[in-house]
Amino acid sequence: MKGFSRIIVLTLALCLAMGAAAQAATLKIGSQSPLTGSYAADGNDIANGTRAAIDAIQKEGGIPGFEKIELFAEDDACDPRQAVAAANKLLNEKVVGVVGSYCSSSTIPASEVLDEGKILMLTPASTSEKVTERGLPYMFRVCGRDDDQSVAAMKFMTDELKAKTVFIVDDKTTYSQGLADNVEKLAKEKGIKVIEHDHVNQGDKDFSAVLTKVKDAKPDVFYMSLQNSSSGALMLIQAKRMGIEAAIIGQDAVYHPQLMEIAKDAAEGVYLTFGFIDEETPAYKKFQAAYEKYGKPGAYSAYAYDSAYSLLSGIKAAGSTDPDKIKAAIMKIDADGASKHIKFAANGDSGSNYIIRVVKDGQFKNYWDPQTGKKY
Amino acid sequence: MDYFLQQMINGLTLGGVYALVALGYTMVYGIIQLINFAHGEIFAAGGYLGVIFLSFLTANGFMETHPGLGVGLSLVLSMGYCAMLAMAVEKVAYKPLRQSSRLSVLLSALGMSIFLQNGLMLTQGVYDKAYPTEFTHGGFDFGAIRVSYMQIGILAVTALLLVALNTLVFKTRMGKAMRATAQDKVMSALVGISANKVISMTFAIGACLAAAAGIMVGLYYGSVRYDMGFVPGIKAFAAAVLGGIGNITGAMVGGLIIGMVEIMAAAYLPMGGQYKDVFAFVILIAVLYFMPTGIMGENVDDTRV
Repeated sequence: MKGFSRIIVLTLALCLAMGAAAQAATLKIGSQSPLTGSYAADGNDIANGTRAAIDAIQKEGGIPGFEKIELFAEDDACDPRQAVAAANKLLNEKVVGVVGSYCSSSTIPASEVLDEGKILMLTPASTSEKVTERGLPYMFRVCGRDDDQSVAAMKFMTDELKAKTVFIVDDKTTYSQGLADNVEKLAKEKGIKVIEHDHVNQGDKDFSAVLTKVKDAKPDVFYMSLQNSSSGALMLIQAKRMGIEAAIIGQDAVYHPQLMEIAKDAAEGVYLTFGFIDEETPAYKKFQAAYEKYGKPGAYSAYAYDSAYSLLSGIKAAGSTDPDKIKAAIMKIDADGASKHIKFAANGDSGSNYIIRVVKDGQFKNYWDPQTGKKY
Repeated sequence: MDYFLQQMINGLTLGGVYALVALGYTMVYGIIQLINFAHGEIFAAGGYLGVIFLSFLTANGFMETHPGLGVGLSLVLSMGYCAMLAMAVEKVAYKPLRQSSRLSVLLSALGMSIFLQNGLMLTQGVYDKAYPTEFTHGGFDFGAIRVSYMQIGILAVTALLLVALNTLVFKTRMGKAMRATAQDKVMSALVGISANKVISMTFAIGACLAAAAGIMVGLYYGSVRYDMGFVPGIKAFAAAVLGGIGNITGAMVGGLIIGMVEIMAAAYLPMGGQYKDVFAFVILIAVLYFMPTGIMGENVDDTRV
């Protein structure tokens, strides 16, 4: 009997030791983004960008003290309630940091939950000013801001296209309408005539009514403010068929390889405001190599990669999972990322670098720099 | 004037699509008094099959030499497949419940709709699927009015299928059996009409029309998506009710009205673009309030299928 109890005690001790070892060896990080629903394309890009960053860090030798990095990729469907549920789930999993989410309307409530649990959140895609203006200590943003994006679009209209009139259409989401309202306001300040500011519904397929209006009004610029690359592709096909000649400007949410796959030649010549990408930098090439197995990078793939990479290198530099130490390490980052130069300001923003890109021969090309007014 | 005519054409095209989907709702309702909510998903499946067949034909270079034949072939194949799918849906989800309360069948229909939509999502992915649409971008210019090939195609196919359907229902033995079953299931069974066969056929015919609409929509808009069936399904259901549910011509007229109201609201009313769906349903409610049986509802007993 004595021998038996000894075996039990030994087995228990072994189990405990193994459990402890396993816990020390796994680093848990989370991602939350819309993996289903209208924004699934962008949402999956975010999860994949995070995976690519984990792969890249592992390849560089990983993080000392952790044998394995585990990703919990949650689906929030761009729905505020589901976003809170996803954040709570990640909280229960005790992740160290979260990359996400896509819609600002999801990021904001989720970040409140994560902040209470002292979990760092880095958003690769939420461009609303409110994300960083609430003063949450563990909130970071790797993408640009809406208010900067509309300025870039307006500069392009006045300085490069010399436009006199603009027709604005948005799809009533916080993002698209916010941008469209900003453009309308700026246009009035600059003396550009806003012929009309019309709206369509999220998820519409038929835009023939509003496009006929655009054709009839003959504006110099058609500002297409949509939160979805598939809607963007539909609108471009129908605009082409309708014979609209105005210069079309979209934004970063329309930026996705599927835009050209679906719209094909109808996408040629469309301008998009998007963060400057230098595909020749070593950081971008590293990202490209790591992302290859997940397909073509979408709009937010590089931002998600940079978000996750910043988080993981913060943990590596801090040598700890203490949120304050990681935050201090992240604030010290001053390096080239795949999407841009990463250097966070005190409020968690990392600055905007919007330029105009154009679709040419089925590819997104850098086109015009609003800072210098030069073509690439 | 040009602007108005252009919007008319837009409205007719959209209405034609709704009408094709609405015919399926109205026929099934006429026979077994069931709102087949899975019908929108059959429409989506038709669109997906179209993209699969057309991509295959394009990859083989067949579309370059015979674009018309290729579209026709895809249309027929997809219609055939969807007909089988709809008959299977009927066997699984509705037939066992034929003696149950209306509510059970309705819930079964909703469940089937969710099941099919998720099936599409899991097998085809959440991303949009692009149609090989280069050949559909062109069109004719009449002065300032532009009519695209696809708009003509949609209207032509809609008209053709409506004529075919009318011939089937009013000129053939099968049509006679359908009309008899719609009037009185028990009596028609007594004179030797197999109700099960008639019901299966009705589902199959409705599915054929929905599949055709799915392909037309895919070609017209350039892409399909797993959840594309939901909104047109609801609109087509509204169109069927508006026209007088159970009535073929009514479904057609209802579809055209809903499409036209939607476009005209977006074209002429302030804020019309964002509230166009509201206007379509306001019209529906108004018509039902003053004409509870819908526009063509008076002679419903004679002509319903």
